[in-house]
Amino acid sequence: MPRVVKSREEFEGEIFESLVLVEGKDLPLHAAGTEFTEISKSRRRVDGVQRVTGRARFTQDVYPPGMLYVRVLRSPYPRARVRRIDTKKAEKLPGVRDVLHRFNAPKAAYRGDDTIFREEVRFVGEEVAAVAADDEQTAVEALRLIEVDYELLPHVVDLEEAIGGMAPSLDPDGNVAEAATHKRGDAKRALKEADFVVDATYRTSTQIHNSLETHGAVATWDGDQLTVYESTQHVFGVRQGLKTALKLPFSKIRVLCDYMGGGFGSKGSVGKHSIIASLFTMRLGRPVRCVLTREEENIAAGNRSATLQQMRIGGKGGRITALEHTSWANVGQGKWVANPTGPTNTLYDIANLSSKSFKVVTNAGSLAAFRAPGYVEGTFALESAIDELADKMGVDPLTLRRKHAASPKDPMVGKKYSDKHLIECYRIGAAEIGWQRRRSGGIRGSAPHRRRGIGMATQIWGGGGGPPAYATVHVNPDGTVVLTTGSQDIGTGTRTVLAQICADELGVDLDDVQVRLGDTDSPYGPISAGSLTTASVGPAVRIAARDAKEQLLGAAAGVLETPKAELRLEGGVVVTKGARTPLSEILGKVDNNTVIGKGGRHPNNPELSLRTFGAHFAEVEVDVRTGEITVEHIVAVHDIGRIINPTTARSQVEGGVLQALGFALSEERFLDRATGRVMNANLENYKVPTVRDVPAKITVKFVDRPDRKANNLGAKGLGEPPIIPTAAAIANAVANATGARVRHAPLTRARVLEALAIAGARS
Amino acid sequence: MLRNGAVALAGGTDLVGLMKDGLARPQSLVDLTGIEGLRGWSHAKGRGLRIGALTPLVELETSDALAKTMPILRESLRDAATVQLRTMGTVGGNLLQRNRCWYFRDEGTVCWLKGGNRCFAIDGENRYHAIIGAQECVSVSPSDLVPALLAYDAEIALTSSRGTRRMKLADLFITPHGKERREHSLRAGELITEVRVPEAALARRGTYLKAMDRKAWSFALVSVAAAAKIERGVARDVRLILGGVAPVPWRVIAAEKGLEGSTLDDASCSDAADRLLAGATPLRDNGYKVTLARELVRRALRSLVA
Amino acid sequence: MPPLTSAGRAVLRGPGATDVALVVNGESVTVHTAPRRTLLDTLRETLALTGTKKVCDEGTCGACTVLVDGRPVYSCMTFAVACEGKAIETIEGIAKDGELHPVQRAFIDADAFQCGFCTPGQIMSIVALLRENAGPTEEDVRRAVAGNLCRCGAYPNIVKAGVSAGRRKS
Repeated sequence: MPRVVKSREEFEGEIFESLVLVEGKDLPLHAAGTEFTEISKSRRRVDGVQRVTGRARFTQDVYPPGMLYVRVLRSPYPRARVRRIDTKKAEKLPGVRDVLHRFNAPKAAYRGDDTIFREEVRFVGEEVAAVAADDEQTAVEALRLIEVDYELLPHVVDLEEAIGGMAPSLDPDGNVAEAATHKRGDAKRALKEADFVVDATYRTSTQIHNSLETHGAVATWDGDQLTVYESTQHVFGVRQGLKTALKLPFSKIRVLCDYMGGGFGSKGSVGKHSIIASLFTMRLGRPVRCVLTREEENIAAGNRSATLQQMRIGGKGGRITALEHTSWANVGQGKWVANPTGPTNTLYDIANLSSKSFKVVTNAGSLAAFRAPGYVEGTFALESAIDELADKMGVDPLTLRRKHAASPKDPMVGKKYSDKHLIECYRIGAAEIGWQRRRSGGIRGSAPHRRRGIGMATQIWGGGGGPPAYATVHVNPDGTVVLTTGSQDIGTGTRTVLAQICADELGVDLDDVQVRLGDTDSPYGPISAGSLTTASVGPAVRIAARDAKEQLLGAAAGVLETPKAELRLEGGVVVTKGARTPLSEILGKVDNNTVIGKGGRHPNNPELSLRTFGAHFAEVEVDVRTGEITVEHIVAVHDIGRIINPTTARSQVEGGVLQALGFALSEERFLDRATGRVMNANLENYKVPTVRDVPAKITVKFVDRPDRKANNLGAKGLGEPPIIPTAAAIANAVANATGARVRHAPLTRARVLEALAIAGARS
Repeated sequence: MLRNGAVALAGGTDLVGLMKDGLARPQSLVDLTGIEGLRGWSHAKGRGLRIGALTPLVELETSDALAKTMPILRESLRDAATVQLRTMGTVGGNLLQRNRCWYFRDEGTVCWLKGGNRCFAIDGENRYHAIIGAQECVSVSPSDLVPALLAYDAEIALTSSRGTRRMKLADLFITPHGKERREHSLRAGELITEVRVPEAALARRGTYLKAMDRKAWSFALVSVAAAAKIERGVARDVRLILGGVAPVPWRVIAAEKGLEGSTLDDASCSDAADRLLAGATPLRDNGYKVTLARELVRRALRSLVA
Repeated sequence: MPPLTSAGRAVLRGPGATDVALVVNGESVTVHTAPRRTLLDTLRETLALTGTKKVCDEGTCGACTVLVDGRPVYSCMTFAVACEGKAIETIEGIAKDGELHPVQRAFIDADAFQCGFCTPGQIMSIVALLRENAGPTEEDVRRAVAGNLCRCGAYPNIVKAGVSAGRRKS
């Protein structure tokens, strides 16, 4: 019988408590020495053929017959009141079917507003109206024919201007709001008593996700049922958002996401485009597509907040004795803040600490979760500051960190970690990079004007996952298996690792397992975010597979007339003492049947803190005359429990490192302060790394020991850990190479040359 | 055919983008790519190098024979855009590409160059903009090929229904100012048919250096084409052209003259950079280009005698 | 230089939709399309070949890479009418008789994709490379796909796949 239990999970740095429904007992972790058939094995992706042949169907590829195209009219002003909209000319254009805007659109609750077309638009790109037409070109032309009367209002887009006293106040309570705070010991006093103090300001620029598939929805209303194909990390989240906006029962909404072209955090819930597509299809009865353009994606679909961070860090007696961290983040029109002080609060055992995180609203597009939101920004500041302190103290920065990294207890919440091998990560990483070669002041590079340096930084993140997550395992009469869960594969390899877990537990071949994801008519699957999928859905899949296996062995016992206890299922074959009978043969003897195994994720132990740890080491060369940074080698070491698939895990780490490389060196949104426009809402001037930016060598290492107290697989998440420490490791390596400390990511040539000039003037 | 709002279309790598951004609205397009006669290159000893305007850039880049005749072409094209764009893009189109200023390219911004009354970049986001030679508009010359060709004294041939003419390639580029809001001096209805490099110039050694803010697929922050005849370690006929720093490819004759007869030692390189960048007036965010330009000039010149 | 007037005959098209004869993946097809419709939209929407992806639609990412007469181009910056009579190859056309192309096979083996959205374009760029250079080095592959952005960061494996596909083919 299902029962309700209390659960406590971490999600993207925040702790949540909830009630969840579970059934039966959790499985114990595999015994030490278990011979796996699939778990811990490198496997090719089960959906590889689909992805390399162009047959994988993404939301963008869904073209139902009779489909209409939507284009959205967006505010050209950063702040304005929409006084009047005249759509007559647009409506007369042949092929235009419908226009929606704030004066005719039905109410639809969305992020605290009761409409998706607000009276006051608050950033360039905010939705003002939408057109549905027979083809895209007509919809585009119709937008030009809509006349809008705007009343312009004073605006501010820049973080530091919005904090300052001269900016217009966008919120009755001001632009700046305290979002999080933490205190332990007495940082003020400890700073006074410290022998060495670093007081420095760090900045990180706005990073844009630029998932290659833009946000988009294709919605169909058949008069009774709304079906929405959505490029999303959370089909159930989109369903919830549509229910809230459209007031339809869950049974009338089905959200589907088969293949998905990248999300990185920004596709976690319903978007205005999904609601617009749904409203149109429900009004017009024809399928409707609303897929954002690249420009729309980059002005209105989320970003990683720019931050301003002040660090005061004190040292004495070879240890860090005090840490103060104050952060301001430009959340645009967002309603929350990705907290950069998370790593400060939790990473090191530092006795005297105080942190404050402020949310700053501006007339810019809203933030969206972006792969380790807050932690990427915060780790850049924290880990840069620790190196600066080590420099001042004249101690090795890795040695300094070791002194504060060994504690088995979470310094913020006081609970014991379920597991922690951070010191081991340091050991492996230092050996791989050759840390002993590091010299204060750097080493000679490959030419006289090139300096070489080594740096490192630490990663802490969640990734323990938790309930709710459910799965079913159907076994067909021919022995083939369909695993169903409402999770998504956003490119991380979810289909593959879940198939491995299922095949391993069930005792069938990997090829015989089909995985069905991305459908709200399935058992609930959580958001593909927060590095939680393997640790949340994986254990549920294992339980479902075990449930199915028990039923299959029961059936086999009946058919073979052998006690169940004497039977084993291996590679799709039922093995008894003397005989091997294929599962298909056994099931074939029973009239048409379906064996259904069910599984749900059990709660985490509330007395433990579940965390992932890691360290990145970087070796760089800096051309001191042109400011060009070349990253030669990144060593990424992660402690995430058991690795399910070493191949996809390695790919995940390389991908995280490369996205971090963009954050570290080249990615930066430019907003024009006077007009509020994003100047580089494209892939020409928003510079994501190319293949030629890849470091000559990326070494990926895992501690690979199951976290015995985490869940029944001993596995934790890996989506976000590898993007967290890279930028700081690179900045530290640059400082080591040149003596120039760049405190603003990305480390562009302009910033490197400026820091070099300052360092040169000093020395 | 190039009348009544008709525009010539070759590789389309710039024009199609301009059309998509609403910056070009041609009544009709004339696809030139079927004109076989304007494709390919030839080098008859003593008569210089001739390159058809419709030659895809990739053909100049990949030809080993051409790399012997004029190595700087391959050097300048290797890091220009991408394989796909070099496959599509033609020589003529490359010469005529419009600037990449993000205010200019933003359909929603009516900047001075598009007939508005001010340049938004001067007081706005200007890290990619001009440090020298600009007047009302601070956009920069984006081509990689152009500085390389200019370092070899290239000329172009033009044709129209009114006849043909030839001019120095350098004269194709206009610094927008006053009432002149064009970037190119091409006349209405005119086509570039050919680029010619005089035989004398082919005797020069040349090099092309480009600084980008990632390792590939970026327009130059600063680029430099340098060429000279090196006789017994001494430089003659020096050419020094910067891309990415001014509205037109940037050349200062005095800087080149100052190098005449020099061994291209550090002091004379530094002096040349001083003359080349004299009067540079960086904007809020692009002062780094001056440092970059000085260093690239030094490296390019030094490499001629290395 | 020959006089321009000798350069073939001019055909007037538009402004309305026009018939264009293309050879797509070896098959002759005639599409009825607006003269300023891109090859990308024509492939995806008229011919239902949705393997070629639209990412930037302005020639900056490479996801729409197809081969025209064997050469890699951005189909988002190419008008379909300009491809009259030309051979177009897309991701759907490179597997032969149910056998994956060596580059496709190499991508699977090297785990050279994550979300897979840039993958068709990456593969087409490497297919084009291998026709010119049957045994490319890592550097050759990097140059060939420098115009194909991958946001998941599968680049190291893409380079491995390109090199190993070359070895398989030759």
